[in-house]
Amino acid sequence: MKKMIAILLAAIMLLGVVGCAAKPAAPAAAEQGKVFNIYAWNEEFKGFFEKYYTVPEGVTVNWIINPSDNGVYQQKLDEALLNQANASADEKIDMFLAEADYIGKYVDSDYTMDVTSFGFKNADTQYEYTIKAASDKNGVCKGVSFQCCPAAVIYRKSIAMDVLGTDEPEEVQAAIDSWEKFNAVAAQAKEKGYYMTASFAETFRAFSNNCTKPWVDENNNLQFDDQITAWIDQTDEFIQNGYTLTAGVWDTEKTNQMFADGKTMCFFGPAWYYNFCMTNAQDPDNGCVGDWRIVEGPQPYFWGGTWLLAATGSDNTEMLKDIFETFTVNEDVCSKLVENENQYPNNTAVVEKYANDPSYGNTSILDGQNDIAVFANLAQNIKWENHTNYDQLLNEGLQNKLQEYYNGSVDKETAMKNFYNYVKETYANINVPEA
Amino acid sequence: MNERTALQNAKRKTVSYAKWGYIFILPFFVVYLCFTLIPQFLTIYNSFFENYRDGLTQIGPNFVGLENYKALFTADSAGTVRILKYLANTMIMWFVGALPQFVIAMLLAIFFTSYRLNIKGQGFFKTVIYMPNLIMAAAFSMLFFTLFSRVGPIQMLLTKWGWIDASFDFFSHRVTVRGMIALMNFLMWFGNTTIVLMAGIMGIDQALFESATLDGANATQVFFRVTLPLLMPIFVYCLITALIGGIQMFDVPQVLTKGNGAPDELSRTLVMYLNGYLTTKNYGMAGAISVIIFIITGVLGGFVYRMLTAQYRDPGRQHRQRKGDVL
Repeated sequence: MKKMIAILLAAIMLLGVVGCAAKPAAPAAAEQGKVFNIYAWNEEFKGFFEKYYTVPEGVTVNWIINPSDNGVYQQKLDEALLNQANASADEKIDMFLAEADYIGKYVDSDYTMDVTSFGFKNADTQYEYTIKAASDKNGVCKGVSFQCCPAAVIYRKSIAMDVLGTDEPEEVQAAIDSWEKFNAVAAQAKEKGYYMTASFAETFRAFSNNCTKPWVDENNNLQFDDQITAWIDQTDEFIQNGYTLTAGVWDTEKTNQMFADGKTMCFFGPAWYYNFCMTNAQDPDNGCVGDWRIVEGPQPYFWGGTWLLAATGSDNTEMLKDIFETFTVNEDVCSKLVENENQYPNNTAVVEKYANDPSYGNTSILDGQNDIAVFANLAQNIKWENHTNYDQLLNEGLQNKLQEYYNGSVDKETAMKNFYNYVKETYANINVPEA
Repeated sequence: MNERTALQNAKRKTVSYAKWGYIFILPFFVVYLCFTLIPQFLTIYNSFFENYRDGLTQIGPNFVGLENYKALFTADSAGTVRILKYLANTMIMWFVGALPQFVIAMLLAIFFTSYRLNIKGQGFFKTVIYMPNLIMAAAFSMLFFTLFSRVGPIQMLLTKWGWIDASFDFFSHRVTVRGMIALMNFLMWFGNTTIVLMAGIMGIDQALFESATLDGANATQVFFRVTLPLLMPIFVYCLITALIGGIQMFDVPQVLTKGNGAPDELSRTLVMYLNGYLTTKNYGMAGAISVIIFIITGVLGGFVYRMLTAQYRDPGRQHRQRKGDVL
């Protein structure tokens, strides 16, 4: 028995040695792994992947999905990446998804690999900011985004008609094309018994993605950009006057406002918002499909976006290249993303096709308005700057702590103190004022 | 020949089976050593280091002495020492849940074991009261979150009946949030306590109850003079395990308040605080908190033990006192 075990162990060791020796000898293209592991924080991309990408025969795709809240996804992903070198080929991460708020953390590390190393070439049709976001300090690109996320104001036609006397996009836009005007319309809406927005944090991204300085300066001091302060001021006013609700952006209380009997005029979001946040509006019984239109709103901005990053150590490089191409340069797939999934693709050729096509209109949520044309205009303004690796938890933390102030359980000073404590606790290396 | 067999027999008779006992408990000690004792010492060791991750970059470990402890006990801008605040939260929420837990568990245990009441269908009741414990705490908490949310059924019902204002939010008031957490802990654990206490009571010789009754003791007297003193070891065991569980309270408030400990961190527990540091794998600070939790647990556990068993630990003294009373 002992002998058998010894022989077995020896055989396994030998195999290991042979395996190690064989790898550098054979070119990467020759041997491809049989298991493709993808880390993600929700099912959104999984849906598109399963519909529009044909997995090569013999390859199993594993999805490892952890929720994004409280940084859980990043924690699990970090754990796996740090263990990447020791993991067996079938357990190594091949590709992982990252959001705008923390993509830099992964792009600027050795855990992601240069896309050109497996022969992928960024096309001219990709939006430049999506490439910049996925590139490290030296400009080496580590992944692609399958979407572009210019964000707009999505408004209820019927409510706009009641409040402004018009539901035409041009006129609505003229009425809310600056924050002063937007706030004034909020007062009008209130008079008619409506809410301007359904969450105290609804407009957060419109401000925060226009910041002129990052959350943390070069000496690691926490700093508040004027845009963030402006958001807080606006929200103070909105809550005080009852223009909005104390619900968070993802709360049920907010999304319930999208039913036909909702009382909210404006929502802020990019194309992914339709499917991700507006399912209530698409409810067959209580929804209100066709009662929506979009306009550029007071301030152009973008929100989120999902990048696909190539993990160093992947043994499925051919498949990586294939996936990246499918969701960026493949016009057929990108067109389907627009037509079937209400997405705004990362492909300017496809975008132009739909933006200039008078017969195209979004009917699954909107009233047949050509939303791609509106988004295309907004997309020209997107700049990728002033981001830090800490953005997700700082944005989330600020909203959580201020929410307690807005629902009346603490005063503003305490809310800010709690936020500083939270920052100190979450990021030991960030210097926080007086906490 | 005969002599040898006799000798062999004698030898066999003195064979010690005790070693088998040690062998059988060995796995526990090995597991305990590897997965509890060594990590415990490592935690203490780690608490003297600066050791965390900035993104994917490891910072430290750098020896910093007692800096982590100092940071823990430094007041913030509003003069609050946060760890003490969280300790108070934890203990209040535990106590509010544990008080009814023990009172009701004790009552039920006495009802179920009373030979005079002789309740039918005990198996059924025992199963039902134990059931909440089978649900995962996080799931239970999620259930409460949904029930009491702003758009949940309880809010709707109470508003309809005019008991609360439509703008009332269960999650922005100290009393309601802590109350929900205490209620959940109570619901989850009273069944467990009942069953342990029942086992304790059933271990008491029935003859004692009968003779007490024959001597004319009423139910209250039987409970305080016979049941409770004899049940004390089990009761203390229950109380201390409940206390330790209470100090480690985590999943229920974490899920209920989405990790925020709202309102104003008044439902944030010690372990939630610890967990906050683990976001960036801050083993130094988290280690320091763990050590403090360990000390608190030890002190409180020892205190409860001494307090409740004081009069039973030294029978001689009790005897002497009695004598003194008589004289």
